[in-house]
Amino acid sequence: MMLSIENLNAYYGQAHVLKDVSINVNKGEVVVMLGPNGHGKSTLLKSLCGMVDKKQGKISYKDQDIIKLSSEKIVNMGITYIAENRELFPYMSVMENLKLGAYSKNARKYEKENLEKVFSLFPRLAQRKKQFASTMSGGEAKMLAIARGLMSNADFLAIDEPSLGLQPNLRTEVARIIKEINNQGKTILVVEQNIPQITDLADKLYVLEEGHITFEGNKDDALSNDHLKEIFLGM
Amino acid sequence: MLIEIIDVMISGLLNGSVYALMAIGLALVYGVTKAFNFAYGSLYTMGGYFAWVFLVPLNLPGGYYTVFLTAIPFLFVVGFFLEKFLVAPLRKRSDWEMKAMMLTLGLALFLDIGYIAIFGPRLKSLPDIVEGTLAIGPLVFMKQDLVIFVLSITGLLCFAWLLNNTRVGMAVQAVAQNPAGAQIVGIPKERVFAATFAISTIMVGIGGILLSQKNFVNPQASTGIMIKAWVITAFGGMGSIKGSLYAALIIGMLEAFVGYYLGMIHIDIAVLTVLLITLAFRPQGLMGRE
Repeated sequence: MMLSIENLNAYYGQAHVLKDVSINVNKGEVVVMLGPNGHGKSTLLKSLCGMVDKKQGKISYKDQDIIKLSSEKIVNMGITYIAENRELFPYMSVMENLKLGAYSKNARKYEKENLEKVFSLFPRLAQRKKQFASTMSGGEAKMLAIARGLMSNADFLAIDEPSLGLQPNLRTEVARIIKEINNQGKTILVVEQNIPQITDLADKLYVLEEGHITFEGNKDDALSNDHLKEIFLGM
Repeated sequence: MLIEIIDVMISGLLNGSVYALMAIGLALVYGVTKAFNFAYGSLYTMGGYFAWVFLVPLNLPGGYYTVFLTAIPFLFVVGFFLEKFLVAPLRKRSDWEMKAMMLTLGLALFLDIGYIAIFGPRLKSLPDIVEGTLAIGPLVFMKQDLVIFVLSITGLLCFAWLLNNTRVGMAVQAVAQNPAGAQIVGIPKERVFAATFAISTIMVGIGGILLSQKNFVNPQASTGIMIKAWVITAFGGMGSIKGSLYAALIIGMLEAFVGYYLGMIHIDIAVLTVLLITLAFRPQGLMGRE
């Protein structure tokens, strides 16, 4: 098991956002977490990446408990968070954003190698090395956010709503890229609304509602579940 | 007439370069942490007293060389620990930027009263860094002024180099532009905050050493410096480093011309007029981002 979260509870101020959440992700899997907005999906990814202060439970990654570690330590262990709103450095070039993606100690050694990989995955970014992140279109910025995440040399990518705000053709492109990254050996936990292109990639699906995991299974299980079919898969 | 104008411009440029060094430090801290450091002016005074202690009572060999070589690490340590032990603990609280302002305001009063308690209320004079004058054609410069100018420009260039060519510098810019993004890529934000505070303390402390030679070491200098640095950062655009550079040069020139043609007492009025006009018509400042 690469990642195992057991009975995770997380809070934002007074709000109890995650309630005894337990999930498992195996090496090489794409796991998709579905659920309505505001029910804790992003909080789950942020808790995993050390960006939520108030939390209890167990998060074990490669057999180490990481729940108390700071975000910089977690990045250095090979988990990277790719934010739904991208969180790029707006007044820096594509190249500078990418280089900062390789800030952690472990990533530094592989900076050159990863740059090449990233540019072959995103040829458009290679053409726009000097462009400021703030002047990019939504789709390009999304690609840059994913590319910056890959620069961290992570084995595990926690991707927050990659298709948010993208047109359908770009969603297909994002799904293709996630698949390709997965084929290169990365393990992926992706949080999404109901986006068929993304759910199609899933080795396993979870549903998070009001802070609880209400479903765990593969896509066939989900399709045979009337509640899920109606609410999340829109069928 | 022309010579006169050139003379005044040069004096404006000299003051402007030191102001730039100091104001950029303040803009840096604001840009990175979004909290305003009201103790900034008192750290200027600290630079002046540091030089005085070394040069007058201790009279250490090496003169100003010794002062600068020791002042830089000293100011770094002071800034780093002030941040770490006073400001950083506030960050866990809500509304911490406001609390940080209150705290630094308290620190400013504490330091200013401390200076009087330790060194007495009278001004101290520092020896000139170099003596004599230099004539180029009809223009006559104080060598001291030239050294101040060269040193502050060197300081600015070092700072620019540090910010754009080192990992620490890039990390500082990353935190200023997007703290959440910085956390995502694994930049240790707390350490960047402390480093920023420390670097800005060096900048203002060195400014204090440079200007105190001309203006004496004054335990109550902090208010005037604080007002100037605050006007420059607001005029340039809060947190904008380039904006502060231009604003510092403009304010330096303005002071020189107003001082020469209208009289010294009008300087502060002119400077504050700039602040009010800026806030009224372009609240984001010259180069601030809305």
